[in-house]
Amino acid sequence: MATMTRPAAEPQRTDSEPEFRPPKYRRPFGVGRDTVVQYAVLLVIALFVLAPIVPTLIQSVRSEPLYEDGGVFTLDGYVHLFTDAGFGTVVWNTLLFATLTTLLSLLIAVPMAVVVVRTKLPFGRFFALTMQWPFFISSLILGFGWIIMYGPAGFVSTQFRELFGGVPWNLYSIPGMAITEAVALAPIAYVFCANALRQSDASLESAAQVCGAGPFRILTQVVIPMLRPPMVYSSILVFSMSVETLSVPLLYGQPVDIDVFSTFLYRNGLQSVNPDYSVLGAASVVILAVTISLVAVQAKLLKDAQRFVSVRGKATRPRMLDLGWLKWVSITAITFYVVFGALVPILGLVFRSFTLIFTPLRNPFDFLTTDNYATITRYDSYVQSIWNSLIVAGVGSVVVSILAVFAVMVARRSTFRFGRLTEYLALVPQSIPGIIIGIGFFWAFAYAPFGLGDVLPGTIAALVIAFGLRALPSAFGSIAPSVMQIGTELDNAARVSGADWVMTFFRVLRVLITPAFAGSLVLCFVIMLKEYSPAVFLSSADNNILGTTMLELWAQGSTGAVAALATIQIVITATFVALAGLLMKGKHHA
Amino acid sequence: MPEVTVNNLRKEFGDNTVLHDNTFTIKDGEFFTLLGPSGCGKSTTLNCIAGLEEPTGGSITVGGTTFVDTSKHVFLPPEERNLGMVFQSYALWPHMTIERNLALPLRIRKIPKDKQRTMIGEALEKVGLSELSGRYPHQLSGGQQQRVALARALVYSPTVLLLDEPLSNLDAKLREQARAWLKRLQEDLGITTVYVTHDQDEALALSDRIAVLSGGHLLQVDDPHSIYESPAAPEVAAFVGRCNFFEGTVAETARGRHAVRLGCVDQVVEVASPTTATVGSTVTIALRPERLEVVPAGTETDGVNRLDTEVLSSAYVGSHYEYDVRLGDQVVQVESNRPGLTGRVQLVFDPEHALLYAQKVEQSADERELLTVDH
Repeated sequence: MATMTRPAAEPQRTDSEPEFRPPKYRRPFGVGRDTVVQYAVLLVIALFVLAPIVPTLIQSVRSEPLYEDGGVFTLDGYVHLFTDAGFGTVVWNTLLFATLTTLLSLLIAVPMAVVVVRTKLPFGRFFALTMQWPFFISSLILGFGWIIMYGPAGFVSTQFRELFGGVPWNLYSIPGMAITEAVALAPIAYVFCANALRQSDASLESAAQVCGAGPFRILTQVVIPMLRPPMVYSSILVFSMSVETLSVPLLYGQPVDIDVFSTFLYRNGLQSVNPDYSVLGAASVVILAVTISLVAVQAKLLKDAQRFVSVRGKATRPRMLDLGWLKWVSITAITFYVVFGALVPILGLVFRSFTLIFTPLRNPFDFLTTDNYATITRYDSYVQSIWNSLIVAGVGSVVVSILAVFAVMVARRSTFRFGRLTEYLALVPQSIPGIIIGIGFFWAFAYAPFGLGDVLPGTIAALVIAFGLRALPSAFGSIAPSVMQIGTELDNAARVSGADWVMTFFRVLRVLITPAFAGSLVLCFVIMLKEYSPAVFLSSADNNILGTTMLELWAQGSTGAVAALATIQIVITATFVALAGLLMKGKHHA
Repeated sequence: MPEVTVNNLRKEFGDNTVLHDNTFTIKDGEFFTLLGPSGCGKSTTLNCIAGLEEPTGGSITVGGTTFVDTSKHVFLPPEERNLGMVFQSYALWPHMTIERNLALPLRIRKIPKDKQRTMIGEALEKVGLSELSGRYPHQLSGGQQQRVALARALVYSPTVLLLDEPLSNLDAKLREQARAWLKRLQEDLGITTVYVTHDQDEALALSDRIAVLSGGHLLQVDDPHSIYESPAAPEVAAFVGRCNFFEGTVAETARGRHAVRLGCVDQVVEVASPTTATVGSTVTIALRPERLEVVPAGTETDGVNRLDTEVLSSAYVGSHYEYDVRLGDQVVQVESNRPGLTGRVQLVFDPEHALLYAQKVEQSADERELLTVDH
């Protein structure tokens, strides 16, 4: 960086009109406050992103747990992992589960995106909206719902067995896990494909139509080939998400001893009496390497592809094709997905929270009760976990959104030489599995300075940090596009008028990005309310949150109480989103 | 009032050099225009003066203050340069009223409240918008926004005014009126002004001097008359106004008059030019369409340069007629007041009106195809 030398002020202007002198900013040792703020943002983000990763790397090559003295360098962890820890089966299971999930979610998402976005479909907008359901419901709750309805003793399974003498499906298997996970992840693939379809040039289809192609031919020859890039990115994303997910494999796999990456970590780290931390570290490093490279590949592909996409300023509304009788088939398929994939399990779960017995063999309406809720209110620790969740999500969403605003400002709105690095660091956590963030911080606290290592573990603050890190990429991703829509000439005008970078932000940009900030708040709140996987390693009796309490109750077999907590979580999310929507709408009109 | 000195200004983006060591000086109180096609480096030059971009090499000095000097590692950030700038999009802060837009630079300069009010009033007075101070930018028309942007750039009495295509967002009619108004305002204030545009009419009408840029090279710095009448390079002739180019070989040369054998029709024409040319060398003759005349074949004229040709097409454009005539395989554009010429005609021009260049003209493939016809 060029060192600043103070040029001599112009003498003639000083005498005549002193108040017209340009503003001066203090720069001790040639470092202005702009630079200080930019480095501070980079350091804070780097610290939080590296905090869980570095100790994990160190633990993987140390013989003793990090919090104990006397460990020596060793590769035993890796040797054990690949020779006798049953890791081969785990790798194979994970591969099978992730591949199946990816294929199934594409199978659901691609046809749905095409028919919803590009064909005349009755209630098309309604179906597009329903694809947002996973935003409100965590995959943990979905897993509970599926087990209650389709599990070996589930409501639907029992009814089916009554009618036909048996069930052709087994939820507690890898295909069973994959179907559930695919139902939960299909909306992600849908969003990628639907956006690509909306952005693509409608005149390409008109051209095909003019050449005499019918609707079906246009779909197969023009529309679907254009979907190849979004299909590639979304499959990599879905694949890496199914590699890291904990909920469904934990709920379905534990009873029948099917292990994937995440449950392997869960079992070895939490359930083993004497956990081998070097094996745990080595496994985390291997999984981290897989997920980070997957996300890196996806980011690379996305970047390369964007160079070829010409997004035009003019919004062309695509012409809707008419599929004739096929549209009724499409509607039936979509309805089937929404009703049996999401609606039935969730409503079943809600209903389960109001009844003592839930089976088609007895009329559940005879057993209506509020006992499940009473169970929760009876124990302070259960009530406390609801409050904890609210505090973590409430405080965390504010902290993370503020950090994300600064990260976006530094990455996209400054000449800071490490701007790109700041952006990459802010996006890295999306490729770190939640459970590894938990393990990583668990070890990181052993290194924390100023005695924080003794204070932080088992507190809500620890969860705010860990969940916040998980939410940071989403916050960054939601703020960055809105900031990019604000013309840089507004910043430049402020700079030339005499404001430095910091003042430009506070005087001009701060107000303009308020809507983006509010959007990020809502997003982070919902994400952090649903989150639980980092907490399984960081929780104690004092800082249980909804997710960990539900897992605990589930393990005890208190299905009714789990259903009640799940219902509470859904209600909180829905209420919060509705209120936020109303508030922002009001703001918008003002 | 200060003078702007730009010395060996160089800017690279990776391997791409967008400014090639350009040197020029803008005189005190001058209206100076950077003119060129898009991507020629004119906005980059302006941003380097403003401090919004850091040059790779060279220095910029304004009235004794060094803004940037790469050899001495001096870089004054934009906020400390005390410049006024108007942007193409006007860049009025949308969440502030006009008054608060103008007040911000004054507040940054810690000017007392009552003094601020008078200064804002004066600035809005200058642009004739005093009664709109309470409005928000989106409540104003494009022309009004442009004037507010100018008022905001002037309110704190900057040393130099920088204008980045400020008229390009106005519609054609308004643009011409705004141009005349801007010229009067600049003359009244006497402020040193750097203006960036790709519009040659605007540059010719407004400027005291024009710098023509192409591909990051500074081709010519001169007053509008010299830029148009004696362009220093064929590119300047091509960009400022329209121009026909002919290749030829020098057949004879004496006392500033040259006989040139045209490549396209194998005829000799006479050209008066101070350019020195050696016999046998290849040269380019440039002729503006309005300096050419077409007359019906057989008309008696006294000019020395008479070329037999035929009309390919004609167009009536209101103030005059435009003819495309054929010279060998080349299309020649002519502006004329004579209506209705067809078939065989004579192309006539004065030797004084032709420009002579030693270098060849690089035409784009599109241009070459459109300006070539079969025999």
